[in-house]
Amino acid sequence: MVQYIGTAATARRRRRRPSSLGRAEESPLLARLDWTLLLTSAALVGYGLWAIGGITRHVVPGDPNYYLSRQLVFVAVGLVAMLAMIAIDPEWYRRSMRGMYVLMLGLLALVLLAGTVSRHSRRWIDVSFFRFQPSEFGKLMLVLFVAALLADRLQRMNELRTPLLAVALGVPPVLLVFAQPDLGSALVYMAALGACLFVSGIRWSHLGLLTAATVFLVVAVLWLLPAAGMPVLHGYQKARLTGFLSPSSDPTNATYNVNQSEIAVGAGGVTGRGVNNATQTNLNYLPESQTDFAFAAFAEQRGFLGVAGLLLLYLLVVWRGLKIVTIARDGFSAIVAAGIVFGFVFQIFVNVGMTVGLAPVTGITLPFVSVGGSSLIASMAMIGLLQSIHARGRLRRG
Amino acid sequence: MARNGPRSGIPRFLPPDPRVSQPYLLTPKMALRVAIVGVVALVAFGILFLRLWSLQVLAATKYRGEAQNNQIRTIPIEAPRGPILDSHGAPLVENTASNVVLVWPADLPKGRALGNEFGQLGKVLGTTRGHIEAVLRAHRNDGPPATTPVTLQVGISSQQLDYISEHASRFNGVEIRPTYLRYYNSEGLLAQTLGYVGRIDAQEYNRLKHSPVGYLPDDRIGQAGVEAAYDQYLHGRHGTAQVTVDSSGRPTARPQEKIKPRPGDAVRLTIDIRLQRAAEQALAYGINLAHTTKDGFAADGGAILAMDPNTGAILALASSPTYKPRVWVYRTANGLKPLQDQKAASLANYPILNRALDVTYPPGSTWKPVTALAALEQSVVTPSEPLLCSPSYTVKTIYGAPQTFTNWDPFVNQYITMPTALTWSCDTYFYQLGWDFYNLPANQGQPLQAWASRFGFGKYTGIDVGPEADGLVPTIAWRHKTFTRKTDPSNWQIDRLWKPGDSIQLAIGQKDIAVTPLQLTRFYALLANGGKLVTPYLVQDVEAPSSGSKATPTVLQSFQPPAPQPVGLNPDYLQVVRSGLYQATHDPLGTSSSTFATFPVQIAGKTGTAEKVVTLPGAKTSQVLNQSLWCGWGPYDSPKIVVCVVIENGGHGGTAAAPAAAQVLAKFFNKPVPTVGGKVSD
Repeated sequence: MVQYIGTAATARRRRRRPSSLGRAEESPLLARLDWTLLLTSAALVGYGLWAIGGITRHVVPGDPNYYLSRQLVFVAVGLVAMLAMIAIDPEWYRRSMRGMYVLMLGLLALVLLAGTVSRHSRRWIDVSFFRFQPSEFGKLMLVLFVAALLADRLQRMNELRTPLLAVALGVPPVLLVFAQPDLGSALVYMAALGACLFVSGIRWSHLGLLTAATVFLVVAVLWLLPAAGMPVLHGYQKARLTGFLSPSSDPTNATYNVNQSEIAVGAGGVTGRGVNNATQTNLNYLPESQTDFAFAAFAEQRGFLGVAGLLLLYLLVVWRGLKIVTIARDGFSAIVAAGIVFGFVFQIFVNVGMTVGLAPVTGITLPFVSVGGSSLIASMAMIGLLQSIHARGRLRRG
Repeated sequence: MARNGPRSGIPRFLPPDPRVSQPYLLTPKMALRVAIVGVVALVAFGILFLRLWSLQVLAATKYRGEAQNNQIRTIPIEAPRGPILDSHGAPLVENTASNVVLVWPADLPKGRALGNEFGQLGKVLGTTRGHIEAVLRAHRNDGPPATTPVTLQVGISSQQLDYISEHASRFNGVEIRPTYLRYYNSEGLLAQTLGYVGRIDAQEYNRLKHSPVGYLPDDRIGQAGVEAAYDQYLHGRHGTAQVTVDSSGRPTARPQEKIKPRPGDAVRLTIDIRLQRAAEQALAYGINLAHTTKDGFAADGGAILAMDPNTGAILALASSPTYKPRVWVYRTANGLKPLQDQKAASLANYPILNRALDVTYPPGSTWKPVTALAALEQSVVTPSEPLLCSPSYTVKTIYGAPQTFTNWDPFVNQYITMPTALTWSCDTYFYQLGWDFYNLPANQGQPLQAWASRFGFGKYTGIDVGPEADGLVPTIAWRHKTFTRKTDPSNWQIDRLWKPGDSIQLAIGQKDIAVTPLQLTRFYALLANGGKLVTPYLVQDVEAPSSGSKATPTVLQSFQPPAPQPVGLNPDYLQVVRSGLYQATHDPLGTSSSTFATFPVQIAGKTGTAEKVVTLPGAKTSQVLNQSLWCGWGPYDSPKIVVCVVIENGGHGGTAAAPAAAQVLAKFFNKPVPTVGGKVSD
């Protein structure tokens, strides 16, 4: 591993010396943003509003724009969050990693203690006009914390105890989310944690070990413990997790939702059925058509062209995100960016995958498209964080 | 790479962390890992693209079809059932628009919410949660597939309707559907004959589901009487409509009619409703009359049949006790109890029975014309041969002991011929004929029974609306078959023998002989029309639904009963019997002359007082009581109507049945009702 060896003093000296790229370095923060990512995310926000306008048109009778106008408010809040994230130097997160960890656990625990129950889950804290969903923000905080933890121990990544420590500290938030129960978010947390470990340079053998342990855990949760009389998952959760593997054998009708979702997606065809003819969405055949299954509703209304456009925008974000990993200022920023990007990819894959029968049904949102403030604000904050890393990164490669 | 790292130009509010080795460099290992993440992301998106391509581009047609089917439900449009008309086109049974409360078991809430919902529903419908659950259980046990709704209640009030509609969210799985209910213009008239309509049960449905009528799993079907016998015409063809529904099955738009329902056809009966009313009133009158006599105190039911003797068309058919058929529409527990519950039915003397068709009685003296005709045809006696009409008649039984049979009139003792024997209804005259039949050589068989069979006794008449009983004409073979070691272990060897008493009692219509009022009516029609056996019928044709109100109905199908069949009687012998029955209503010594001698139309008829072992409702033991009968026709020479009256436990034929028959005949001939009472006679 190539390491730059130097002292803080030389660094300070270098800082005072005018640089050949001084122009760029001296340019204001906004000028050093990733304009491709900025345009892409603006397009995504617009695209998401367009999608939400369509899929919520018939939800509130007499007020077709009810959800759209609410979502616009969230966009404004999200914009503020994004700008704040850009302004804040990521270094600050690293410094306050302990506080952040405590804050994250506190928020997640608060949900369990004082949250609002809806659809069998306790995921929300009611904050006057909207429901605050801490697990959406916990995702960011977990990535920041784990990245900080690993960035401090980059030289010791070869030792097994480093990843083990990261996993051990990552388990409590995962469990808290899992207990809500929010299986989907717990999976996203684990994916982001894994991605952080992966780009930090975890040894392949350790990675294999951890994977094996995870597989064993899954088997235990799904099969061993219930067989021993200690069920961990709710019946509906297990049915959803295993149901997509064999859709035809469906005693509890757990795949009814997936069937309806596939019908909605398929019925969309190439160009979509439009807002008014989307019967799967409008007549409520599609479950949770504004949140978990928003993608299916969107696919029914806008067809393959619509979803292809959406996936391409997502892919653009992923591409820019990975680019930002490579130009990050330091290890911490790089790990943060990688964790964010992989969590993003994972969340999209699981969400879209579940609507088309490729992944188990879990209650996670689709960034920018699902109706809801927390998801949108967290997504925009995430973009802001990427921009922040970009703006403070090595511009030359831009 | 020297320029990497924190820069002075960037505003920082924190000093750099000394633990971090600065500036940071992207190592090849790191680059590889990032590339791997990128590849994983690309693969993930690739998979999604391919899957979406296969769903939305390759299989779009299939899924669009499924989405269409998802939301379109084909629902039946109920066809109104056809009306039942009387012979003049007056509607007896029509439809009234109403509604029905249905429960879709699959859409009901679960657990405690279900109990709450049933509790509320029970309160609104005026019933209990337990009752609703019982109805659903019964449906589960014997009902059609679970996807069909369960009928909870029919004909709810507009307040109930409004309440349930306004609080629809509290009543998941409850549907109120408009429907047609049977409406009975004539209240309780003709109840047992009209029959009723009820839910088709699973067995019936499986049997009929392929019939062209197009029954639905939760359809209504005629279950008795005319409603059952002519269901295929009355039912109509249900139409279909398509309705778009949301995922909970609630309609999102008005149903679009696809196939128009075809209302059921009208069925025109041979019944004249005015004569029917007169007959039911006459029956009640006869029963009341019986109560005033010494041995008619227990009169509690009966039947009256009026028939066209030339065609077999039934003009009136009364059966008492009766009920109001609308209890079958609303199906309240109290209303149906006397019809369905064994104990309540017994106390109410079985109002559901159609006594005119389905109950048998000993015919008593109304049987004497059968004996007379058989005796004349068989040359057992000649019309002018005098026989002694004595107070009693004694024969030797098979064991040599004497057995005495008495005449109903103990004060008579003179030789009489056949017509007088019928006029007086002399038992001893007919005992002698019975004894002669008994003594016929074995190779002649049992001609009395043979003639009885030719007259239609002991078998079904073939009337188009059931159910009917076949009765019994006892024969040697019947005794052999009925009394065996198994059925009668203590006495079978004696009981299986045909004894003189069997023939003698049969001659006056007593002992084992059992006939329905319909069989008797048919026989008297044969006497009236010159010896032809008619096939009785109740429905004359099927017409277009709106025919009732029109002067010239659109007849779709008319039912021609089989032509009356001559039974091969010698007309002279028939005339002997006919004149005897004419004398019976006109001669001062005739058994019903007090009722009919002054009747404005010439009536001929015969009384009957038949002993029957009965158990009165609520009684523990049985006793022998007289059944009051009268059968006859008018006008004597050109018969237009034949009437038979049976009053159960009504005493003498002349005191109850004959005056009741006079009422019906008076109505038919549009004459004033005779006020003369009956008299004690056989």
